[in-house]
Amino acid sequence: MRLEHAIKPESSMSTLLWLRFRAFSAPIFLLTVWLLLIIATAIYRPDFISYQTLLAVVFTMSIVGVLAIGQALVTISGGFLDLSQPSCLIFASFVSVKLSEAGMPFIIVILGAIITGVIVGAINALIIVLARLNPIIVTLATNFIGLAVLFLLFRAAEVPIGSEIHTFGRAYFLGLPATWWPMLILIFIVGLLIHQTRYGRQTIAVGGNLYAAQTRGISLKKTRFLIFSIAGGFVGFAAILFCSASGPFNSDSANILQLNVIAAVILAGISLEGGRGHLWMLFLSVGLLSTVPTSLVFFGLSSDAQAIFQGLILILAVTFDGYRSRKVTL
Amino acid sequence: MTKFIKTFVFSVVGIFLISSSANAFKLGMAVGGHACCEWMKSQGDVARAIAEKKGWDYFELSNEGDSATSVKNAQLFVQEGVDAVIQFNGEPGTNAAIQQILGAAGIPVVTYDIAEEGMYFVGIDNLGAGIAGGEGLGKLVKEKWNCEPDLVVSAEGAGAGIVNTWRTGGMRTGLGNICPDIPAEKYKSFESNGDAAAGLAPARDLLAANPDAVRIAVVGLNDGGVLALVNAAEQLGRADEVMAWGQDGAFITGDNVNPRLVGSVFYFLEGYAVYAIRDVIDGIAAGNPPPVKWEAGDPASQVKPCPATAAEAQLVPVEAERVKQLLAAPIGTTAYDLFCAN
Amino acid sequence: MTNTAANSDNSKNFINIERPWKEMLSGSVASITLTFVIVIALGLILVGPRFLSFSNVSIMGNYLIIPLVVGAFAGFALLSGVVDLSIGSMVGFSTALMALLLNQDWGIMSAGLVTLVFCMFFGGINAICIVGFGAGPIPTTLGMLTALRGITWLICGPAYTIPAFNLKLFTIVNHRFLGIPTFFLVGLLLTLIITLIVSKSRVGRHIKAVGGDEQAAERAGISVKGVRVLALILSALGAGIGGIIMVAQITSATRMAGFGLEFEVYAALMIGGYSILRGGVGNPLGGALGILVVGALGNVIDLTASSSYYTNIIVGILLLSAVYLDRLRGGDSYD
Repeated sequence: MRLEHAIKPESSMSTLLWLRFRAFSAPIFLLTVWLLLIIATAIYRPDFISYQTLLAVVFTMSIVGVLAIGQALVTISGGFLDLSQPSCLIFASFVSVKLSEAGMPFIIVILGAIITGVIVGAINALIIVLARLNPIIVTLATNFIGLAVLFLLFRAAEVPIGSEIHTFGRAYFLGLPATWWPMLILIFIVGLLIHQTRYGRQTIAVGGNLYAAQTRGISLKKTRFLIFSIAGGFVGFAAILFCSASGPFNSDSANILQLNVIAAVILAGISLEGGRGHLWMLFLSVGLLSTVPTSLVFFGLSSDAQAIFQGLILILAVTFDGYRSRKVTL
Repeated sequence: MTKFIKTFVFSVVGIFLISSSANAFKLGMAVGGHACCEWMKSQGDVARAIAEKKGWDYFELSNEGDSATSVKNAQLFVQEGVDAVIQFNGEPGTNAAIQQILGAAGIPVVTYDIAEEGMYFVGIDNLGAGIAGGEGLGKLVKEKWNCEPDLVVSAEGAGAGIVNTWRTGGMRTGLGNICPDIPAEKYKSFESNGDAAAGLAPARDLLAANPDAVRIAVVGLNDGGVLALVNAAEQLGRADEVMAWGQDGAFITGDNVNPRLVGSVFYFLEGYAVYAIRDVIDGIAAGNPPPVKWEAGDPASQVKPCPATAAEAQLVPVEAERVKQLLAAPIGTTAYDLFCAN
Repeated sequence: MTNTAANSDNSKNFINIERPWKEMLSGSVASITLTFVIVIALGLILVGPRFLSFSNVSIMGNYLIIPLVVGAFAGFALLSGVVDLSIGSMVGFSTALMALLLNQDWGIMSAGLVTLVFCMFFGGINAICIVGFGAGPIPTTLGMLTALRGITWLICGPAYTIPAFNLKLFTIVNHRFLGIPTFFLVGLLLTLIITLIVSKSRVGRHIKAVGGDEQAAERAGISVKGVRVLALILSALGAGIGGIIMVAQITSATRMAGFGLEFEVYAALMIGGYSILRGGVGNPLGGALGILVVGALGNVIDLTASSSYYTNIIVGILLLSAVYLDRLRGGDSYD
C-alpha cells in the first residue's frame, strides 16, 4: 500500500475498501478458482451440474472436512503438521466397528470413536509436551508405529449392515447427506469459537508468537496438550463418517486422505508457521479439493492423471502461499 | 576324566542334532504381506501348520508388497538353506530376478497365481475364474434385465497388474459371453485399488458422471473393489438395481454380507499350501521332484475356482473357520473339497 | 521454526566433523554408533554368528544400496536446511523411465543419462518453488511426491509393470568384491567422500552454514539460494541414481516402486542425527549408520521369524529416542 494512498484524505474510503478487499482476497481467490473449475467442467459436460454431482462432492467433503479441522487446529497452534491422522482414524474406526458389533447404541459408538481419537491425540501430546519434541517428527513416528500395530491387530473390519452407524452413512437430511451436516456445523462453530473464545485466542497466540504468549501467562504445555487431544477428537469423529459407509476397511485405507487434508489446510490460508488463518476458509478449500477429482472424471481423465493434478494443485497453492507471505514480510 | 566324558557326550548329542536338523526338510515361504487381506496371513499359517505336521522346518518371510523386499527374501532363503520355496509375489515384475537367484542356488520355487518361467505354478487360472464370474453375473443380468443393463462398471485394481487384467477383463469377457449385445459405451471403469474404503470416492464420482444409469452390473478385481461401487451407489440412493459379482470371496461369507453382492468366485486362497505341498513339495522332499510346470494353462497344481451365488456362499464358513476345518481335515484335503458346493 | 534462544547455544548444534573418530565417540554420532553396536550385538545374540557372515552382510548390503545412495544425497539437502520428501516417488519415476527406455532398446548409458536429466528437472521445479518463491519445503515436496507418483503410473501405463531384465545391468549391480556387493561398498565410499566434502571442503562448510544460520551465511557472502538449489537438485539426482540401481536389481519397474522410501530414509537419517526441520546438523557418517541400523534391525526380525511389522514399531521408537537424545544434547527444543 503506497504512502500517497494513506495520506490523501479523499481516498481514505477507497483505502478502507482496498484493505477490506486484501483481507478477503484469499477467500475470493479460492471461490473464483472453484467457480472457474465448475464452469469449465460444465462447458465440457453440461450434465456436470446435477444433484448427483453435488452429492458426490459433498460426501467427499465430509470426511476430509472434519479431518481438516483437526489438522488446522494443530497447525494454527504452531504444531506444524499432524502426520498421525491416518492411524488415529483407523484406530477410532476399529473401535466403532467393535462397539457396533456389540450392539451399542449409536451415541455410544460416536463417543467411543471420539474418545479413542482423544486418547491417540493425547499420547502424541504427551510425547510432544513432555519430551519437548517437534510434532511433525513425533506424529511421523507414532503414525509409523500405529499403522504397524493396526496391521497386527486386524486385516479387515466392517460395520454391521443395518446398524445405526451403517444407516447414518447413507442417510439424508434436508436433501443433503447426513454425514455432511456435522462437518458444516463443526467448521463454522470451531471457526467462530477459535476467534471468539479466550481459549481459542490463546491457541492462536501460542502459534503466533511463543514469547508473547508466555509473557501473557499462557501455559504452553496445557494449551498444547489440549489442542492435540482435541484435534484427535475430531479425527475420532471423522472415523464415524469414514467407517459408516466405507464397507470393509484395513489399516492402510486412510493413507490417501492425508495429502488432501494437508492441501486443504494450506489452501485455506492457514500458514504452516502457525498463528494465522481462519478455519471457516476450510469450507472453501475442502470444497475445491473435493470437486477436483469429480471434475477430472467428467473430463474423462484416468485416476493416474488425477494424482498429477492433485500434486500440482498442492505445489501451486504452497508456492503462492510462500510468495504471498514473503511479500508481506519484506 | 569327567571333562572328557562331558565333551564326548556333548559332541555326540551335538552331531546328532546337527545331522538330524540337516536331514529335516526346510520349507521357506514368502507371504504377500499386503495390509488388505486376511488370506495372505492365512496362507502362511496353513503352510506352517502342514509343515509342522510333516516334521519339516519352516521359515517364513513377508514380501511386504514391495519389490525390493521380495528380491531380498529370495537371497535370505538361499542363505538360510531352505530346500524349497513357496511364494506369493504381489509385484511379479521381480520374479525374473527371484528365479535367477533361487535357480542359481538350485532351490525349486512354487509361485502362486502369477506364472514365471522356471517356477512351479500353483493356483487359479485367474482368467478362467474371471470368465466364470462374468458368466455367473451374466446369467443374472439376462434373467432380471434381459441383458440390458444401463451400465457395466469395472472396479479395477491396477496395482495387481496382470491379475487385474485377467480377473476384471475376464469378467467382462464372461459377461459378454452371456450378453453379447451390450454396447461398448456402457462399459465404464474406475480405480478401486481393490479396497472398498479407498475406492468409495472414485466410485461416487463415476456414478455422478453417469447420473441416468439405474441398472448397474458391477465386476472387478475382488469383493472389496466391487463393494466400493455398491456402497457408493447406496450413498447416492441408487443401489436398488445394482448387481455386483466379486472375486476371491473375501466378503461374501458370514452374517454381514451386502445384499447387492450377488455372487463371487471363491479361490480359498488360504488353503493353497495344500495343493503346493501335495503336488510339488512332497515330491521334492522325497527326492522325487515333479516336472516343472510353470504355465497357468498347464500348471503344476490347478486350484479350481468355485463360483458361487450369494445364496450358495451362505453355506461357506468364514475364513477363520475354514482354516480351522482345513487343518483338522486329513493332510491333502483341499478347501475346495471341503467347501465348494458345486 | 527454531527459537532464537536455542540458536544462541549454537555451538552444541554444530557437529565437529573435522575429527571423525572423535565425532564417533562423542557428539551426535556417538549415540548412533552406540545403537549400531547394540543392534549388531543383538543380531549376534538372537541370530547367531551367521548374522555377520559374508552372505548375510551381503544380503543386508544389497538391500541397503539404494537407501544409502538416496540418503547420502538427501542428507546434503537436510544439511542445507531443506527436506525433500519427494525422493521416494522420484525413485519410482526414475525406475519407470529407465525401464521404459531400456525396453525401447536404448543403451544403458543414454537411458541413464536421460533419466537423470529428467529427475534433475523435477528437482529443479522443487527448487524454483521452494527457493524462488519461498514455498514451504514439506508441503511442496509432498505435492511433488503425489505428482511424480501419478507420472510414474502413467509411464507404467496399461502394462502396470515394465519388464526390463537387462543381464548386463543385473550382473553389474550384483557384482561382489571380496564377497561383499560392490555397489554397497561404493555406497559406503560415497558416504565417506561426502563426509570429507562436508567437513573439509569450502562447499561443505558453505552448505552447513546455510543450513545452520541463514542470515549469517548471507552476511558472509554465501549464496543461500544457490546452495539450496544445488542441494535440491542433488537430492533429485541421488533419487534418480537410486531408481536406476533399482531397475538393475529388480529387473523391472512397478507402479509402487519407491513407495514409502522417503519415510524409511528420513527416519533412518534422523535416527542417525540429521534433522528434517533444522539445517546444519547431521553427519553423513551418522546418516549412513542410521540406515545400516534400520537395515540390520530388519534383518534380525527376518531371521528370527518375527513379523516384519515389528521392525516398523522399533524404528518408530528409535526415531523418537534419537530425536529426544538430540534435544537433550541441546538440539531443537519444542517449547
